[in-house]
Amino acid sequence: MIYAGIDAGSRSIKAVLFDTERNKILASGLTDQGVEQERLATELFEKLLKDAGLERSHVSGIVATGYGRNAIRFADTTITEITCHARGVHWLVPDARTIIEIGGQDSKVISLEDGGRVRDFAMNDRCAAGTGRFLEMVASRLNMNWEKLSELACQSKKPAIISNMCVVFAETEIIGLLADGKPLPDVVAGVQNSIATRVSALAGRFVSPPVYFTGGVALQAGMARALEEVLACPVRVAPQPQFTGALGAAVLAGERNAAKR
Amino acid sequence: MNTAPRKLNLDEWDDRYEQLRRDGLRESGYGGPLRRHVVREKDFRLQQLQFDNSPAALRLWNFLLTENERLHQARANGDKIVGTMKDLGTVPVMVYALPGLRAFYPDGAWWTPCLMECSDKLLQQAEAMGIDASFCPVRAMLPAFENGEHFPKPDLLICSTGAVCDDFSAIAQRLEHLGHSIFWWEIPRRREPGPGESACVLPGNLTAPKIQVDCVRTELQRVGEALGELAGKTLDDDCLAAGIRAANQVRRLLDSLRRTVYAAPAAPLPALEMLVAEMLAIHFCSDREETIAVLDGLLAEVQTRIRQNQFVIRADAVRIFWVNPVADLRAMNLLEELGGRICGSDYMFTHALDLIPENLPPLEALARTALADPMVGPTADRAARIVRECQAGRAEAVVVSRIPGASHCAREGEIIREIVRQNIGIPTIELEIPPVCDAMLPNLGSRLQALVETARARRTK
Repeated sequence: MIYAGIDAGSRSIKAVLFDTERNKILASGLTDQGVEQERLATELFEKLLKDAGLERSHVSGIVATGYGRNAIRFADTTITEITCHARGVHWLVPDARTIIEIGGQDSKVISLEDGGRVRDFAMNDRCAAGTGRFLEMVASRLNMNWEKLSELACQSKKPAIISNMCVVFAETEIIGLLADGKPLPDVVAGVQNSIATRVSALAGRFVSPPVYFTGGVALQAGMARALEEVLACPVRVAPQPQFTGALGAAVLAGERNAAKR
Repeated sequence: MNTAPRKLNLDEWDDRYEQLRRDGLRESGYGGPLRRHVVREKDFRLQQLQFDNSPAALRLWNFLLTENERLHQARANGDKIVGTMKDLGTVPVMVYALPGLRAFYPDGAWWTPCLMECSDKLLQQAEAMGIDASFCPVRAMLPAFENGEHFPKPDLLICSTGAVCDDFSAIAQRLEHLGHSIFWWEIPRRREPGPGESACVLPGNLTAPKIQVDCVRTELQRVGEALGELAGKTLDDDCLAAGIRAANQVRRLLDSLRRTVYAAPAAPLPALEMLVAEMLAIHFCSDREETIAVLDGLLAEVQTRIRQNQFVIRADAVRIFWVNPVADLRAMNLLEELGGRICGSDYMFTHALDLIPENLPPLEALARTALADPMVGPTADRAARIVRECQAGRAEAVVVSRIPGASHCAREGEIIREIVRQNIGIPTIELEIPPVCDAMLPNLGSRLQALVETARARRTK
């Protein structure tokens, strides 16, 4: 049976089609987030169906997750990102015990028990300093894309110290550092370290290895290393990190349907 | 009209009120439709809340929301008004032991910006007075004292100092600098008795050195003298003992209400009404006798509902233990909307729920109760009680809510989470809830929903 997971995040909408009988991802895709979330999600979902040679009627259940999950009215139910990322990462890497997810506007640390069940979690309150928004601000200020930002971070020799914990004030600080002639790669790496520090504060004492890093920010080269340094343990990037929420949603859709039957 | 126990919004309560009136509802002097608090007092937040539909709950809300009005009336009737600041249930017991005195809790002004959805501008005015958003919302009391638009200016203002939070201390000092004379009494930070040191047993399974109890007793004696002077009657032991017995009557009622509601198979009363009811322990909402009547009514309603197997929250709701009161009352509704129910609480004044010993000299008994205040002792003591009550209430998860700017212990949430995790291993989250949390509702909702999902998943091993 085929199930769909839609992850309506703050920056992009991700979708996964999952076949429970073959235990296999059939298709995945993403599109930029926008004002008309449901239309964007529907178009993405229909594109995935077409690419996989399927009809809407082939899909036995849809779960929506993510910040905009309640706007996806064609979903059968909603489940939070915490539960979905946990399920998605566990499906991909069953040995995971801690998941760090950094998205466009929030960050989470999820502690897993044997079997992948969520033991506990922490999520940022209302500050953007530990989220992808910080990197977005830097990219925008430097007028460059994410890929370029990644490349720069990897070239850093001595990451800058960003002392401000507030993204708004940090922007001013970054301008000051650049004006003082601080190399661009060091500034970008400094921003990554600042995000990692915030996330480590969120993680507190419940980081058990193996630690997997997921969410769109995991694709930023250098971020996993920055997290490793502050957490003092290896941090592995989960496979297809931007899709783990949508995958988890699809897997859970299947499990819920099976439980009903 | 459906009169089975359920939650109603304000519009639905308008209809319900008319129906109750037609059916012969008997109300106290402060009764009336809930809507009038929006129209007259600008308590706009009520339009966003869901309320229990019982006449007992209506009475509770009307009692809470008419406090300022009742205080002004009491003043007009010749009563003396005593403001008891940074005091969660000690000095009010003494105040109500004397005739013609009424205690109120100026710190309670921190709820006003929430109820009025900041239309009162109290927080902005506090900022103009030098107390900005880095301080606890209790700062709302500063302009409330100055503009006189809320509570009457008290005849006597009493405030504890010593083991109290730094920001409150700063706000109270600012108040005094603005010309409001304060009678200060000191409470030391509670500690374990040292080796060989004489110890006293406190309510709540705690101990403290006798020297600390003696110190607080002496301080309370000074407070009693000031109160006696104001009342024109000495606060002697007989008088205080009678006041303690009456306070214990409130505490027994609250204990019965909490046990009945939290132990019921499903929630017979919503979390929001329970929070408000528990708050009555602090200073009896400026009327001790009426507090008893309000709690009696709630308890009777709850007992009837349980007998009739009627509840307001579905039976499979996740059992949540809630720590700290919320700045925005909407959060309590939100928890229930997302599939949770309260099975226990620690709203920072658990010592005001414990019985004051009646077998000790009255001042000694009050001093011991004051020292059992969770805010004057280590957070680990508080966490130990939370663990015990989580176990007793079969809690499946814990929410530690935070009030922005409140600093009685900066690491309190983390310490409680760690101790809960170590002892009972249930999921815990920490939430910061500002006075108006509308902009944060999606984020708050996500975290509460995730907690409910996590706890529910743990039911199936």
